[in-house]
Amino acid sequence: MKLAIVLLVLISVASILGTLIPQQEAAGLFISRLSPGMADFLRGLQLFNIFHSAWFMVLLGLLALNLIVCSLDRFPMAWKRFSQKNEPDRDDLFETIPPDQMVVKETSITEETSRLEKLLGKKGRVGRKDLDDRSYLYAEKGAYSYFGVYLIHISVLVVMAGFIVGFLFGFEGYMNIPEGESSTVVTLKRGKGAKKLDFAIRCDRFFIDFYENGAPKTYRSDLTFMQDGRAVQSASVLVNHPVTYAGMRFYQASYGMIPAGDTIMNITQGDKKIKDVQVAIGMEFDLPEKKATAQITRVEENLMGMGPAVKLNIRSPAGNFQFWVFEAIEQIAQANPGLLEQVPLFNPGAFKPYVFSLGHVDRRYYTGLQVAQDPGVPVVATGAGLMMIGFIIVFFCSHRQIWIRLDRKADKTRISIAGKSNRDAVGLKRDIRKLLDAAKPKEGSAI
Amino acid sequence: MSNTVILSWTTFIYLAVFAFYLIRMISGKEFWGRLGTVTALIGLSAHTAALILRWIASYQMGIGRVPLSNFYESLIFFAWSIMALYLIIEWRTKNRSLGTFVVPVAFLCMAFASLSPNISNRIQPLIPALQSNWLASHVITCFLGYAAFTVAFASGLMALLKGMERGKFSPDDSADKIDADSPPTHFQRFIRHIPEPGILDELIYQSAALGFVFLAIGIMTGSIWAHYAWGSYWSWDPKETWSLITWLVYAILLHARYVRGWRGKRMAIMAIVGFICVLITYLGVNYLPGLHSYQ
Repeated sequence: MKLAIVLLVLISVASILGTLIPQQEAAGLFISRLSPGMADFLRGLQLFNIFHSAWFMVLLGLLALNLIVCSLDRFPMAWKRFSQKNEPDRDDLFETIPPDQMVVKETSITEETSRLEKLLGKKGRVGRKDLDDRSYLYAEKGAYSYFGVYLIHISVLVVMAGFIVGFLFGFEGYMNIPEGESSTVVTLKRGKGAKKLDFAIRCDRFFIDFYENGAPKTYRSDLTFMQDGRAVQSASVLVNHPVTYAGMRFYQASYGMIPAGDTIMNITQGDKKIKDVQVAIGMEFDLPEKKATAQITRVEENLMGMGPAVKLNIRSPAGNFQFWVFEAIEQIAQANPGLLEQVPLFNPGAFKPYVFSLGHVDRRYYTGLQVAQDPGVPVVATGAGLMMIGFIIVFFCSHRQIWIRLDRKADKTRISIAGKSNRDAVGLKRDIRKLLDAAKPKEGSAI
Repeated sequence: MSNTVILSWTTFIYLAVFAFYLIRMISGKEFWGRLGTVTALIGLSAHTAALILRWIASYQMGIGRVPLSNFYESLIFFAWSIMALYLIIEWRTKNRSLGTFVVPVAFLCMAFASLSPNISNRIQPLIPALQSNWLASHVITCFLGYAAFTVAFASGLMALLKGMERGKFSPDDSADKIDADSPPTHFQRFIRHIPEPGILDELIYQSAALGFVFLAIGIMTGSIWAHYAWGSYWSWDPKETWSLITWLVYAILLHARYVRGWRGKRMAIMAIVGFICVLITYLGVNYLPGLHSYQ
């Protein structure tokens, strides 16, 4: 028992360390501030992954072992208390009862005994013993309450077992799928590599909705599960509403935009559209009317805080021209009147008669799904259920024993009641009080 | 009247309750105790009404959700749980001295919620992660557990104070000695109103056990919720870990009592250590990175 308390303290201290020292992915910055020797030392102690470390598992294992040993050690005693036969004639118990636990009546012993036996029968096991001049009754309930504590301990073991099952046979990972695309690969957590699924998941649509105050309201992914290129099942995944497929659960975990790269450059001449060009560094295209060749030399996500921009280098017989093409050129021109005339470098119409503009960057979303398979979950849930039953037994049930002796005193029947309880003295008192009230002569009847 | 206005008033009502209970213990006049109880009942009624009004108001705003979903509301509900549990215990034990130690905790929660500039009392819509039926059951069970631990903590403080005063006299005849000598000082009278160590022991044990069960249910409901929301019923997030540490500390307390027969000062210290863990679980982990931070 002492060992159990020491183990609980050690596990608590280890857990505290686990919340103070950055763990796993979060540890990087912390490690970089330590000297290499110190970092290696702490890493050797597995202090950056305490909750999956060997020594933490050993502590949990020792606690489990301790629980089993202690329970086996103490169980026979509980069994003895549970199964022991209590004799109804325990005169010793009546020597110490207060006088108000006695009632004297005119009726006969046999009559009273039968009446009380029936009354006790409603509550549990009843024993009876009749002697020449006196009778004894015995009743008990809740003897099973001695096992509540073992049920709680077993439930802790079951939870631990479920945890191990999940650790050994489950996996956790994530996958990012752009809208309209499908994927079969799950990147596993904790750097455990990747897992290929034997089915594909297509993200048909990612949907995000906001409240008026700008806080997010809904994240939703419309998914289709595909087997051999054939759609099998469609489902919407929302936060708090995962979808199960092939024994795996899919959660809405994150989302994002596809990185820029699918930007399109439009070239117009007057009102006429000349061509669209996929934007990529080094991309070249001809501008036949001027016998020129244009090349995209730079692609910026956000140039000088004015949004996406692409730099063009145009070689023509008339010379070389360089200028930037901004996606948000209209807003920039509006905010800075005269800018385009003063700074030809920013003027997308600098190479006449062409005008260059950027088509909107492709704003396709990708959905971030968390994927989990944990066969330990039903085991852990069972453990939690057992623990609840254990709590109810330990905290709300008690073993209550009641003895009644009926004997003759001065030509009358004397009823004496004694009781015992393993933890609920108040409840026992209440039970005895009820019995006394029932045993007392009715008001108005002759005494 | 808006719910936040009522809640601000409730804060002052609880301050008055504390003052009345304190005056009762110092003056020894039961009148102040009765006044304290009546005031506490008024405060709790107003508090309950404000919670209901807040709930209704959220529906009128078109976002309808239980008033249990941000830091402000959690403080308010914590105070509500403490007061409700205390009044039940007062009614069951017919003893008011516990109030002097428990009510100030409820007052501090309310004052912190109302006065701290960093805590928003606005009713905001739920972000997707909080849109779950498990929100209410998780929060309610956890905070009922915290309230029970608060009672255990207050009883522990009382036991330590009582032990300090008794230590000055030989344990058996302390009461007689005070009576025989000069009239008792205010402090002595205060101490004498604290129940006997045996009763406090029982109070620490019962409230710790109650909190232990509620925290267990709170952790379970939280795990179920996490299973649906985060993809894992347990991820060693700091708040999860600290709730487990808290649970283990009270497990140690209960086992030390059952099996090793700990009583008195040791139990009192355990109850205080446990409450420190509760505070870290509730407030401290907000300074650690994790999934549970209040917004």
